[in-house]
Amino acid sequence: MDAAVSTPSLRVALIGVPNCGKTALFNRLTGSRQKVANYPGVTVERREGERTARDGRVLRILDLPGTYSLSPTTLDEAITRDVLLGRVADAPAPELVVCVVDAVHLPIGLRLALEVKRLGLPMVLALNRMDVAKRRGVHIDVSRLSAELGVPVLPTIAVKRGGADALIEAIQPAQWEHHRSITRPVWQDATAEDAEQTQSDLRGLLAAVGYTAPKESAWMARFDAVLLHPGYGLLVLVAVMFIMFQAVFSWAEAPMDWIESGMAALGEFTAASLPEGPVSSLLVNGVIGGAGAVLVFLPQILILFLFILALEDSGYLPRAAYLLDRMMGGVGLSGRAFIPLLSSFACAIPGIMAARTIPSWRDRLTTIMIAPLMTCSARLPVYALLIGALIPAKAVGPFNLQGLVMFALYVAGILSALIVAYVMKHFAGARQYSPLMLELPDYQWPHAGNLLLGLWERVKIFLSRVGGIILALMIVLWFLSTYPAPPDGATGPPIQYSFAGKLGAMLEYIFAPIGFNWQISIALVPGLAAREVAVGALGTVYAMSAAGDDVAGQLEPVIASTWSLATACSLLAWYVFAPQCLSTLAVVKRETNSWRYPLIMAAYLFALAYVASFITYRVIGALA
Amino acid sequence: MTQQILVAVIVVIAFVVSAWKLAPARQRLRALLALDGWVSRRPGLAGWRERRLKPRIQRAAGTGCSGCAANVGTRPHHPPQ
Repeated sequence: MDAAVSTPSLRVALIGVPNCGKTALFNRLTGSRQKVANYPGVTVERREGERTARDGRVLRILDLPGTYSLSPTTLDEAITRDVLLGRVADAPAPELVVCVVDAVHLPIGLRLALEVKRLGLPMVLALNRMDVAKRRGVHIDVSRLSAELGVPVLPTIAVKRGGADALIEAIQPAQWEHHRSITRPVWQDATAEDAEQTQSDLRGLLAAVGYTAPKESAWMARFDAVLLHPGYGLLVLVAVMFIMFQAVFSWAEAPMDWIESGMAALGEFTAASLPEGPVSSLLVNGVIGGAGAVLVFLPQILILFLFILALEDSGYLPRAAYLLDRMMGGVGLSGRAFIPLLSSFACAIPGIMAARTIPSWRDRLTTIMIAPLMTCSARLPVYALLIGALIPAKAVGPFNLQGLVMFALYVAGILSALIVAYVMKHFAGARQYSPLMLELPDYQWPHAGNLLLGLWERVKIFLSRVGGIILALMIVLWFLSTYPAPPDGATGPPIQYSFAGKLGAMLEYIFAPIGFNWQISIALVPGLAAREVAVGALGTVYAMSAAGDDVAGQLEPVIASTWSLATACSLLAWYVFAPQCLSTLAVVKRETNSWRYPLIMAAYLFALAYVASFITYRVIGALA
Repeated sequence: MTQQILVAVIVVIAFVVSAWKLAPARQRLRALLALDGWVSRRPGLAGWRERRLKPRIQRAAGTGCSGCAANVGTRPHHPPQ
């Protein structure tokens, strides 16, 4: 038996303050051999990866949430500390800690390193972004720092190929073998005296290593003068968002066409290859017509996330938060609400979870209540389908009309959120202002490797949803749309006699005043499980009805020919506010520890959605 | 007839998967514990229980820092009761 088999792998944890380049270093160490999940019981992202050491053993590398201190004030920080102490289920304490410190902002990272060192775990210090530090005139005596701390200190440049070679060398399992069985983390809650002692140690350490602060970069100051300006900065922000939504439509057109054609061809091939019967119907109308209709929107979701990841990597997003802090304060929101609300553009659930970083309960509740009004990525397929079907792809000046409508829908969501927050502020009376404090990172070019990895994660998440819950629900819906079979002598489409058809007919009474037909009414029900399921459900329902024999991947022309503009706009208005998916309501229940708030949320969103759709349907109907 | 049986099996699986994925975490944990109780009485399934079921239960049961008794001070803020 060789060493690789007989000796267990080494557990390594990466820790550092936010924006120190920890995740870039994690990507450099693990490449694509990583998986993203949540810590048990909480929606704090857990990133774990592997690297094979020179002796064939496996390094299990954990990227911990960024933290400024081991005395936590937020849930993310608490998770980081608990993982180091081995208190988290399914995440044993690490055997080696790599403390990542941004060399440009040495004091803040070194303070955390001193706290981590006190735990007594074997530690290596990665002095990251050394290239930028040198350019900005930062001086650090690395060997002295290593001697003072009593741990290896390795300069790294995480975004550069080969920039972490010295670190890789230092974390080879063989070098840490003798620490494995003897080291247990030691923890005691920090007192005020401890904090003062740490600060004093830090000052001494900085003096000993000859640290000099970075020089101000002239071009960065010029950039900030524009991007953080209350007027120009806001204009730039609106322009960036505008370009993003234009790109979502313009760039995604070709790949969407390819997927659409592929789905249609697959549907035809399956129908031709299998004998007519329930299996063929299930595959063509349920699986390909339903799940396939959702798959078409993958390119648009990827383009949206490409922009979000690039903006994040470039250092622009924290500046946007700073810029919007004042505006958000005006409607009674904390500046700290920006990041949770921004996360809600991906999905309301992490956004609602991220609201845990807001210390005031009232501010947190307001943020939770409006988070679902941010347009989550699951709504994108619904918007894209309806816009593609009913809004002509013509140019308005230099812009694409479809992109303009998409932008308007996102803006409608944001404005609604601000109005709801303002109303909540007036209901709840005066509040204590909770200031936004954040560190503005340096500007940098987004790193292609990080972007690709981020997009790959989105692809995996989207495909696992399409192949998981969406596919399962589409099969269930196909069953409900197929059975019972129509009675002898029936004249209408078979689906009208099915369970789903009967349910749709009942729901139509409620939704007819806002222009929804029975097909839409049916699609709204599974849409409660996940919004994008509504698109698949429409694909299945239309495939099962007389409206189209070959709907798989071609839902747009069917909608364009059978729906009025008023109906489509009414459905768009519905989805700006649409009552939340069940998972969101469940998370709100868990986060607020009460059924009261999810019920209020569902009721107010349903009322807003119904009123908005009613007005939209009536006004456009009258104008048309 | 074969087609009908195949479709019935697929639909039942889809129902179960949908119900499982949409069920609250507490219900899923209860179901896993019930399954564990049943499996524990079958020695032939001991290997599967250790390898697959137990880690799954551990993941479902773990509550991270918010459930740790040693960590009361850093629990997320809840509304005043």
